[in-house]
Amino acid sequence: MLAALHRRFGYDERSAALLVFPVVAVLLVVAAFPILYSFWVSLHDIVLTRPLRRPFVGFDNYLRVFDDQRFWVAVARTTIYTVVTVAVTTLLAMLVALLLNENFPGNRLLQALLLVPWATPSVVNGLMWKWIYDPTYGLLNALLLKLGLIEKYRVWLGDPDLTLLLIANAAIWKQMPLAALLIIVTMKAIPDDLYRAAKVDGAGVFQRFLHVTLPALRPGLMLVLVYETMISIRHFDLFLIMTQGGPGDASFTLSWLIYVETFRSLRFGTGAAMSYILAITTFVLSWAVIRFLGRRI
Amino acid sequence: MKIETAPFSRRALSLGALSGAALAGSGQGARAQAGGTVNFIGWSAAVDQVRAHITAFERATGVRVNYENFPWAQFRTALVTRLVGNAPIDVSWVSDAWLPEFAEAGWLAEINDLPQLMRYNAEAAEYCTQSMTYRGKQYGLSYYGDHMSFMYNTDMLARAGIAAPPTTWDEVVEQSLRMKQRGIAEFPLLLSLAADSWLIEFVSALTFAFGGRFVDEQGVPVMADANRGAVRAARFLREAIHTHRVLSPGAVETGEINGLRAFGSGAHAFAIVPTYRIRALNDPTQATAAGKIRITLMPKGGPNGTNDTCGWIRFYGMTPGAKADRARRERAVRFMEFFGGRDTAGNYSMQKMLLTDIGLPSCALPLALDPDVVNFWERWAGGGAIIAQQSTLARKKDVISPWFGEWVETSNQAWQTVCLGRAEPEAAMRTAAAKWTELRRAFR
Repeated sequence: MLAALHRRFGYDERSAALLVFPVVAVLLVVAAFPILYSFWVSLHDIVLTRPLRRPFVGFDNYLRVFDDQRFWVAVARTTIYTVVTVAVTTLLAMLVALLLNENFPGNRLLQALLLVPWATPSVVNGLMWKWIYDPTYGLLNALLLKLGLIEKYRVWLGDPDLTLLLIANAAIWKQMPLAALLIIVTMKAIPDDLYRAAKVDGAGVFQRFLHVTLPALRPGLMLVLVYETMISIRHFDLFLIMTQGGPGDASFTLSWLIYVETFRSLRFGTGAAMSYILAITTFVLSWAVIRFLGRRI
Repeated sequence: MKIETAPFSRRALSLGALSGAALAGSGQGARAQAGGTVNFIGWSAAVDQVRAHITAFERATGVRVNYENFPWAQFRTALVTRLVGNAPIDVSWVSDAWLPEFAEAGWLAEINDLPQLMRYNAEAAEYCTQSMTYRGKQYGLSYYGDHMSFMYNTDMLARAGIAAPPTTWDEVVEQSLRMKQRGIAEFPLLLSLAADSWLIEFVSALTFAFGGRFVDEQGVPVMADANRGAVRAARFLREAIHTHRVLSPGAVETGEINGLRAFGSGAHAFAIVPTYRIRALNDPTQATAAGKIRITLMPKGGPNGTNDTCGWIRFYGMTPGAKADRARRERAVRFMEFFGGRDTAGNYSMQKMLLTDIGLPSCALPLALDPDVVNFWERWAGGGAIIAQQSTLARKKDVISPWFGEWVETSNQAWQTVCLGRAEPEAAMRTAAAKWTELRRAFR
C-alpha cells in the first residue's frame, strides 16, 4: 500500500502532505471534532441536571425547536435586528467611504478616528451604550433634555418598542468603521479612467456613482453584506450586557435563546439543535448573498 | 453576583495575615500538608472573609483548602459542568433554589447520618433547616439566611409630612402620590424588576404579601388564580407603573445592584431590598441617603394581605464523592462545621464575621444575643427588632423544584410583560402556570 502511495503521489506532494499534517491534525481536534460532537449532542435529549439519562431522540430536538413558540419570537427579533443592522451599517459605511475617498485636509486623521469604535472591545461598547441609554443618569436623556427635545428623562432600553433598534444602534456604531474600510479599499481600486470617460459622456455626480462606483463596489459590498449578516445574526454580547433578552421578550433573539436553553436551562440537546439551525441559516444566507452579488461581478 | 465582595475589610485581611504569619512561623505548613486537602468552590462573594477563615481553618486543623470562586451569574453553570465532569469538589456553596435539582441529579450528599453536622439544627432558625431539606433529607449547613425587607427613607417621609411608614400597599401608593404631588420624588417606589436571578425573590415577596402563592402544597400551580395566586401582586405592579406612576417603567431594566444604588442615592422613598443591604445603605461612604434608611414590616396587600416575605438561604453542601471516601468526608465535615457551625474554639466565628463585616444575616440563633451583633443592628438599622420579627415571617420560595431553573425563565418574562403593560396579569400568570405544568409532567 505504501508503495502504491509512492507511485501515485510524487515527492513534492508527499512532502506537502507531511508539512500540512500538523495543522490538519490540530484542526480536526479543535474544529472538526467539536462540530461533529455537537451534532451528536443535538440528537440526544441531554439535560445536564438529569445526568443519568441521555436518550437518543434522533431529530426530535429539531422538531421540538420548531414547535417552540419562543423560537419563532426569536426568529422574528433576529430578522428585524439583522435587517436593520446590516442595512444601516452598509448604507452609513458607503457614505463614510465616499467622504473619505475624497482628498481634503484632515482625511488621514478622520480615517484614524474612524477606527476607534471598531477597536473598542464589545463588552466596553455594550456597557458604554447601556450607560448612555440609562433612564436616570444616561447621556442621551441629558442631551435631549438640553436640546429641548424631551421634557423629562425617559426610559430607553426599557421601552420594548425601541429596545432592538437601540441595541442595533450600538452594534452599528461598532461595526460600521470596518465596513467603511472594506468599501474604501474597493473604492480605491476603481480606475480613474472610468470616471473620466463617464464625465466625457456627460454623466453627472449621481450618474457616475450609479453607473461607475456602485457596480465596481460589488466585491466590497458582497464582503460587507456577508460579514455583517454573519455577525448580526449571531450577535450575543450586546444582548447579554444591555438587556438579557428583555424587557419581556423584546430582545429575545436566536443567540440569546440558545444561551438560555443551553446555559441556563442546561438543555444541551435542544441548545445544540438550535445552534445547528442558526449555523445552517447563516450559511444559507451567506451563500445566497455571494451567489446573488457574485453573479454580477 | 448576589453579594458584592466586601469593600476593603481590614479585619478580615489582618486576620488572614496574622493566620498566615502564625502558619509560617509555627511550621504548620507541613502539618497542613499532612492533613490532606478540601476542595471548596463558591461564588465571588465575601472573598476576603472566606480567605481569612480558610487560613484560620488550615491553622486550626492542619487541613489545606483549595478555594475556587466564580461570579454568581455564572456559578450554577460552572458548578454543574464541574459536577457532570466529576471534578474533585468536596464542598460547595449551594443556593436553596438548586437543592431539588441537585439532589435529584445525585450531586449532593445528605448529612442526616452525620451527627457532627446535624446537631446544629438545634441552634438554627427553622426555615433555614427546612430550606436545606428535600424529601426528608438534609443536605447541608447554612452559609447565611436572609429575606426581603421593606425599607423606607425617613427623611423623605418627614418632608412629605408622613408620620409613620406604610402598613399596606395601598398606603404605599397613597404616600407615594403625596410625595409626587409635593415634588419630593418622581417615582417614590423602587423595585428592581430586571429579568435576573433576583426577580423571583422580589415577586415572591410581593406575592406573599398579597396573600398569594405560586403553587399549592401538592405542587399544583395556583399562580393564575385570581384570589390565592400571584395575580393581585402582578396587577399591583402594573397599576403602580401605568396608573399611579409611582414606580418607574425603567424598573424592568433595573437590576438589584442598580436598584440598591438608586435607593442609596436618596431618589426613592420605598424599596424592597435584601436585608443584608441595610449596612451598605446606611454607610455614608457608600450611600448619600445613609442614616435615613429604616426597615418596617412588609406591607400587607389586598384583602388577604400578610406581612410575609420571601426568605432564602445559601448553604455548604457536600458532594457524594467526598462523602463516599472516609478521609475526604472527615475533612469536608470539619470544613463545613468550621464555616457553617462553630469553629474549634466553639464560636460561630464565620457567621459572625459575615454579619459584622458585610451584614449577611445568620441562621444561627445564638448569634442574635451576641453583643457585637446587637450593636451591629443598632448601628446600621436602628435596632434589630423589626428584622427579627420579619425573619419569622419569611417563607421560602414555593416554586423551588427540580425544574425551577427552567421555569423561572418563563416566569421572569411573564412578570416583565405585565410590567410593560403588554399582558393582562391573569394571562401572564396562566403562561407561567402552563410552563410549570409542562415541566412538572416532563419530570415525571
